[in-house]
Amino acid sequence: MNIQNVNHLVHAYKIAPWRIQRQWIGNVLLMVVALAMVATLYLDVTSQAGITGREIQDLTASISASQQASADLQTQLASLTSARVMEQRALDLGFRPMESGEAEYLVVPGYSVLEPDILSSAPLLQLSKLTIPPEYNESLLDWMDKKIVTSSRGIQ
Amino acid sequence: MRQQYARRTQVLTSVMGFIALAIIVQMTRIQNSPEAAIFRQQASNYAYILHTFYPDRGEIYDRNGHLLAGNKSVYEVGVDLNTVKNPQAIATAVSVQLGMDYSKILSAILAPPESLSYIVLADFVEADKAVNLQELKKAMQDQAEEGTRGGLTGLEFKSHPQRSYPENSLASNVIGFVSREGRGYFGIEEKYDTLLAGNPVQTLVPTDPNKAFEIPRVLNGTTLVLTINRDLQASAEKILDEALTTYGADNGTIVVMDPRNGELLAMAATPRMDLNQFWNYGTIYKNATDFNPAISKPYEPGSVTKILTMAAALDSGTVTPGTTYLDTGSILVGGALIQNWNQEPWGVQDMTGCLQHSLNVCMATISAQMGAGIFYSYMDNFGFGHLTGVDLAGEAAGRLKLPGDADWYPVDLGTNAFGQGVSATPIQIMMAASSIANHGRTVTPHALYAMVRDGRQYDVPAQFAGSPISGQTADILSNMLSVSLESEGSLALVPGYRIAGKTGTAQIPVDGFYDSTQTNASFIGWGPVDDPQFMIYVWLERPSASIWGSETAAPVFGQMAEKAVILLDIPPDAIRQQIVAK
Repeated sequence: MNIQNVNHLVHAYKIAPWRIQRQWIGNVLLMVVALAMVATLYLDVTSQAGITGREIQDLTASISASQQASADLQTQLASLTSARVMEQRALDLGFRPMESGEAEYLVVPGYSVLEPDILSSAPLLQLSKLTIPPEYNESLLDWMDKKIVTSSRGIQ
Repeated sequence: MRQQYARRTQVLTSVMGFIALAIIVQMTRIQNSPEAAIFRQQASNYAYILHTFYPDRGEIYDRNGHLLAGNKSVYEVGVDLNTVKNPQAIATAVSVQLGMDYSKILSAILAPPESLSYIVLADFVEADKAVNLQELKKAMQDQAEEGTRGGLTGLEFKSHPQRSYPENSLASNVIGFVSREGRGYFGIEEKYDTLLAGNPVQTLVPTDPNKAFEIPRVLNGTTLVLTINRDLQASAEKILDEALTTYGADNGTIVVMDPRNGELLAMAATPRMDLNQFWNYGTIYKNATDFNPAISKPYEPGSVTKILTMAAALDSGTVTPGTTYLDTGSILVGGALIQNWNQEPWGVQDMTGCLQHSLNVCMATISAQMGAGIFYSYMDNFGFGHLTGVDLAGEAAGRLKLPGDADWYPVDLGTNAFGQGVSATPIQIMMAASSIANHGRTVTPHALYAMVRDGRQYDVPAQFAGSPISGQTADILSNMLSVSLESEGSLALVPGYRIAGKTGTAQIPVDGFYDSTQTNASFIGWGPVDDPQFMIYVWLERPSASIWGSETAAPVFGQMAEKAVILLDIPPDAIRQQIVAK
């Protein structure tokens, strides 16, 4: 077999119709796989965002329920320690109201008179919508839409 | 052979392509059809729910952090008509548990108004009853065969907050109450209704979980901290209730205020109501002014006003403590005869004697010497006829007739000097007298100590309402009042503490004439005189045991002052002065 025959065979192989078809099929399949991967990714991100959103809704409801339960318990506690109840408990325990002449006052160095309670002094930490970057709450479609809008504005 | 395969492939490709094209065309057609627009519209209707967020009403605490008004969960019990399985079972359970009429419940479920899919059977149901029903529903569901619905299926529960007052009737006249519609009535609840209630937010809430971050955050109502001391308030109410029994009075009021800054430490009144049963308001009170007489029920205070007349006379230089006059037992003012309370002459008296013996003739003489211009100018500066600005709803201003008014007569200059023909509320007299106790500065009485909103506390500063008299006059008069109490051996005195004060016995006008058998007995006092930390006002309406303030209101003041020095940790004068000296 001389060199001319080899070149002829290589050329015949390159221009074989089935080979071109396979290249087309390969390219199409590659596109399909790429699209499938993007779709899968999109589906995954969207479903995760959906689940997280639902969790936020549930937690919001849960916070509300907890606050209500806390208010209930606080009111119950206040009822159990009301002035009338506490006075009765003290009397039952054998205490009696003090007369003014029975009080003994001592000078305690460094003691200062108790001031009324400060119920709160520092603001609570709060999540704000503005502190969440868009990467955490926009979908792929939102992102693409934003990019298209941005690029179209750039063209104009 | 290869050509045959090629043709088949082409045909298959064409068919598949055609089908794919048909699917795309059909999808596009459906997407853009009128029906699609309708469906999209329907979907958008469910994309957002219009929801009104009602913030929890702010709580109310006393100055030491005891809860006076909070919130508790109550339930709306209703029926989802689409899922009801056994209406009779629901009617039976609800009627037994909530005490409702069985037949009415049954007919409401079986014959509901058209287009309704949910009906409310009862609202504001207490949590324990609602929980019982919920447990019964669960038990019946557990007993039902698998895959079938329980007998109480369709019975629904929705919880929501309701105002609750753990101290029941304690300080009811100060706190006020909230109706089921969420509106505050009387006292703090009405005065600060907007602050307490917060701002309801009506907004579209997305049902799409991807938009959960759009759920609005609604701030609860502002929490209020009052200047009221719960224990002192309880003591004041107890002392007042006992006083009504002891002295046979119709009603009464005791107010305790810090004269240095106007903080109301206790404000007891009768009758009181259990705020958790506010619907009894109409049966307890005949008039709105009865809810808190201390601020809303003006009356002729009588001789307690003499301290203000004397303050005006001393401050204007009309008299000095040592000024004497001859008391003949009567004086003619504006053509009318004014007499002392015992209709007897008291001879030569100095100004301390005038106060000690509560001489009407002396006061009428002094006011005549001052003249109407000076006298009424001082009374106006003391706040008579004006609202004090106390932060409780329903305050009344009382009335001070002035020269030039159609119903003012020259005799009023004499009678007003000892508290007749002038009307004022206890809080007005306390505000006026605060200038004497507080070295000439008048304080504005207030019940709000601080506000807590969004995690921050804002303290309310004391407000002063002017200086109607000098500090020197105030101190001299305080001393005179203290001496007069000690000289007469008043029942208002507290061992170990120097107290300044004055009784008041005012006849009650009936059909235009003063009835000598019906009186308002009052006492105003403060202490310790050298560093006043409490001011107490006592008012007993129509005491039957004795008509005199010195025998009824004064001992009540004494009891209250004794309790105040204990609860406010005020050492006796001797010990306190030792501490100061060190």
